[in-house]
Amino acid sequence: MKLNIDGLLVYFPYDYIYPEQYSYMLELKRTLDAKGHGVLEMPSGTGKTISLLSLIVAYQRAFPLEVTKLIYCSRTVPEIEKVVEELRKLMEFYAKETEEVNNFLALALSSRKNLCIHPEVSSLRFGKEVDGKCHSLTASYVRAQRHGNPNQPVCRFYEEFDAVGRQVPLPAGVYNLDDLKDLGRRKGWCPYYLARYSILHANIVVYSYHYLLDPKIADLVSKELAKKSVVVFDEAHNIDNVCIDSMSVNITRRTLDRCQNNVDTLQNTIQRIKETDAAKLREEYRRLVEGLKEANVARETDVYLANPVLPDEILKEAVPGSIRTAEHFVGFLRRFLEYLKSRLRVQHVVQESAPQFLKDIFDKVCIDRKPLRFCAERLQSLLRTLEITDISDFSAVTLISNFATLVSTYSQGFTIIIEPFEDRTPTIANPVLHFSCMDPSIAIKPVFQRFQSVIITSGTLSPVDIYPRILDFRPVTMASFTMTLARTCLCPLIVGRGNDQVALSSKFETREDFAVIRNYGNLLLEMSAVVPDGIVAFFTSYVYMENIVASWYEQGILENIQRNKLIFIETQDAAETSMALEKYQEACENGRGAILLSVARGKVSEGIDFVHHFGRAVIMFGVPYVYTQSRILKARLEYLRDQFQIRENDFLTFDAMRHAAQCVGRAIRGKTDYGLMIFADKRYARADKRGKLPRWIQEHINDGSLNLTVDEAVQLSKHFLRQMAQPFSQVDQLGLSLLTLEQLESPEMLKKIAQIAHQT
Amino acid sequence: MDEEPERAKRWEGGYERTWEVLKEDESGSLTATVEEILYQSKKRRVIKSHEQVRLGMMRHLYFVIDCSRSMDDQDLKPNRLTSTLKLMETFVDEYFDQNPISQVGIIITKNKRAEKLTELSGNPKKHIDALKKAVDTPCVGEPSLYNALSLALNNLKHMPGHTSREILIILSSLTTCDPANIYELITTLKSLKVRVSVIGLSAEVRVCTVLTRETGGSYHVILDESHFKELLMLHVKPPPASSSSECSLIRMGFPQHTVASLSDQDAKPSFSMSHLDSSSGAGLSLGGYFCPQCHAKYTELPVECKVCGLTLVSAPHLARSFHHLFPLQAFLESPTEKLLKNRFCQACQRELEDKTPVEKHTWSQTTEKASNRRMTLKTAEKNGEPSNHNSGDALLLIW
Repeated sequence: MKLNIDGLLVYFPYDYIYPEQYSYMLELKRTLDAKGHGVLEMPSGTGKTISLLSLIVAYQRAFPLEVTKLIYCSRTVPEIEKVVEELRKLMEFYAKETEEVNNFLALALSSRKNLCIHPEVSSLRFGKEVDGKCHSLTASYVRAQRHGNPNQPVCRFYEEFDAVGRQVPLPAGVYNLDDLKDLGRRKGWCPYYLARYSILHANIVVYSYHYLLDPKIADLVSKELAKKSVVVFDEAHNIDNVCIDSMSVNITRRTLDRCQNNVDTLQNTIQRIKETDAAKLREEYRRLVEGLKEANVARETDVYLANPVLPDEILKEAVPGSIRTAEHFVGFLRRFLEYLKSRLRVQHVVQESAPQFLKDIFDKVCIDRKPLRFCAERLQSLLRTLEITDISDFSAVTLISNFATLVSTYSQGFTIIIEPFEDRTPTIANPVLHFSCMDPSIAIKPVFQRFQSVIITSGTLSPVDIYPRILDFRPVTMASFTMTLARTCLCPLIVGRGNDQVALSSKFETREDFAVIRNYGNLLLEMSAVVPDGIVAFFTSYVYMENIVASWYEQGILENIQRNKLIFIETQDAAETSMALEKYQEACENGRGAILLSVARGKVSEGIDFVHHFGRAVIMFGVPYVYTQSRILKARLEYLRDQFQIRENDFLTFDAMRHAAQCVGRAIRGKTDYGLMIFADKRYARADKRGKLPRWIQEHINDGSLNLTVDEAVQLSKHFLRQMAQPFSQVDQLGLSLLTLEQLESPEMLKKIAQIAHQT
Repeated sequence: MDEEPERAKRWEGGYERTWEVLKEDESGSLTATVEEILYQSKKRRVIKSHEQVRLGMMRHLYFVIDCSRSMDDQDLKPNRLTSTLKLMETFVDEYFDQNPISQVGIIITKNKRAEKLTELSGNPKKHIDALKKAVDTPCVGEPSLYNALSLALNNLKHMPGHTSREILIILSSLTTCDPANIYELITTLKSLKVRVSVIGLSAEVRVCTVLTRETGGSYHVILDESHFKELLMLHVKPPPASSSSECSLIRMGFPQHTVASLSDQDAKPSFSMSHLDSSSGAGLSLGGYFCPQCHAKYTELPVECKVCGLTLVSAPHLARSFHHLFPLQAFLESPTEKLLKNRFCQACQRELEDKTPVEKHTWSQTTEKASNRRMTLKTAEKNGEPSNHNSGDALLLIW
């Protein structure tokens, strides 16, 4: 249908539209008009993706000079594929309606592992291996050597692309990863480099967060993207953690040992080259004197180990003399390494800031701040000069040099914590140096500064006002949308007491309490008798889950549950978990019924949807607080308090509730879906917890379902499940939660739509 | 409705938040009104039934009754099993009333097994007796959909192609314990054109959804006892026949009831064939229906002759089966304001109310039922008055 969104003609590829989609597009339009950033929360399964795409594409067509590109960031490869498919639908609709050939180019980009079509390279299992192997075939000096030595293996796909691919731009259309690979095979071009080259002139790019947020990759891939782009971060409820992870470094003794080997290899290679080809080293030296800027003008394939974000002025400077020659630099690395080793030899926990660390390193081994800053850049240059082909071995030394650059570049927002052992196993020495970023805004700041509009959206972003604070930006719109429903298809229940009136809670004091554990078991047992097919139960941590399950086994509860349903458990082993998941789905499918015990913040709680019968109920045992004794967390909380005036407790609750919302949100993936959401902890009933749930869950929690006993919850569930099992068709939704164009344009509906968005 | 089963004592019920059901909805849309949806679908059903469709008139229906542990649940009073069996009795009665030339068999499943309670037959008495006896069955273990379905299938697949093959499952449990992959069985059922319908007593189970969708049956979950009854009664009407089902001519006999008077010298008391194998039946009698082909005697119709296999029916039976093909016109909906003087239903004297959910409608449901009854040719009594047909066989085209 064709919509009129605030004066903009939007083509929407479906015959029906949800009222909240309309409202969402209105907000989005406002954000784009203002050329500002926005935070938008809309429940999963209400067609966020297509609303975003339809509006932005329409905007691009209407104002081609205002918005030139859409950069859509998603988390996983399946999600990226889903976005591309929606986009394809939209483009087909455009072609049908306007009957003109549009020259839109949209494509997905992923890592080499997902795009490589070289027969040998693509058969490798790990991403790192693929990258390394690819590099060894396509690096410029490898290709240069081929001129002298025709036996030198190179990648024919890259050669072909390099020779022909650049001249002809990719024909307009929508390309997912498989399309790119097909095209690559047909033309004999490397799909990865083709995609990377094409994103520069594509209208829509769909790729992973890391291509924008991780400075090591972002610099390489996304550097030249136009300023007039709209950036969308989908499923962005964890965006602060992604930012932090991309800037943090952990160094263990093993890293240092491997680094030692790397340095030795470097030394030997330098020695060898010096004997055979000293001119090469001299040439490098000359280049370094001239400054990094020139050194940086390298061919794209060489920039495999890019540096972390370096301020522009540094690039213009010359590399300091102390590390300019190769031997000196290796010596420098050795010293730095020895220093780190000595630091890891501690017996007690040390926490210090970056300036303290720099001062200490200057005192002990006389390493200055300036050469440290150039460490990453210098290493890259050296590796290039030495023509080391198999670069994947050098990850350890790269890590160390990245650390060196980061620690000397940022004095604020980072902390260094050295722990001699893990908290759980104080007798086993396992020293770790955490160089931890505490300020997510550091990584995302360039994105906000560079692009004209950045949209952060997800199903669970509540409370929306905290994201601008921790990411340090000023949004022009912040809105939270509800789900209009023809029938109440979600049923949040807060179970606060057992049948014997024992308060249910996972708080630390009652964690070992048998009465609580028994009552939790009882809840699961009774639910397993009334809920059909699949139940997903979330615990706060692996340890807690192990304890509880062991205790249930002793008390015989597990046996009773197994009479109703099979039990599967998520473990830390990814292979085991995916096996369990597969079997769980099979059991749901053929009527046996199953329970999946898993952990909030685990793989299951984030990436996997339990549509329809795969998750008829989600039980959240306890409030999933993060492990509060962790030093990294403590440091971060302190930082948040000092810098952003966010109280520790607020942040902890916010973090716990967003994970709880993520967990329970797994069950509802659309308007025809239905599911129970059981919060089994009495603390959920408190206003400060409840108020941080997304609005679309909150508005279905009424006072009657606040502090239920297990029995009451079972009765309510029974009633709910019977109601939901009644036949429900599209016709029932029409006019309420699903609109045709005429219905949408009626004045009372427009009035109702205005209430859907909740401005903050 | 007056005949709505009375609930047991209030305090025996679970936590029922009756006040929440009655919640007024100011915004008019946001809070879901499942009742409204149910009502709408009911209305659609009424309207839809008037399309010209072929109906499977000769039905072979297997009931599968779940007798697993969960049937002990007391959310239906006094418990699910008793309540189900009682409703089944009325259903069997109603079924044979409306489909006299059809047959029914009962299977129960418990403890991972399935067993036949009664064979496929057209005699309601036998089924009702069996159902009455089944009240005391202990409910143990888990049901097995697979076993129950394959047991029913083994019997149904020998039935001729022009008859409809149906299975109706009353499932209380949420799980099923199957010896093999049930999806293979579902494809077999589909290929043999067996229609499987399910009435769930607790919640929607995925495998039943697939089962009914694939085989073209219906799947419903009960809300309470009266809804349960309503859902059961949906299955009284013959389902639309699949377009690919065969047409064939079948032979039927229309035997005449002969009442021999005692004065008649030739009359000799004889046994009814249908009572031969059951010891409980009545002994000798004088009159009865005599098969026009082999002169075997039966006291009741309809029946399949034990000697020569001819289907014996009376004309009213056929007529009753056929009335489904020519249903009544739907009632026209009109606002109550238009009815100025007469605000009462002509049939049951209920006051007519304006249209809001749940039977607040310009016509009352009681009336609907009564008028349906009129069509069932009340002149013919259940067990067959002497019919006016001439004795002899007739050929009947079943489509």
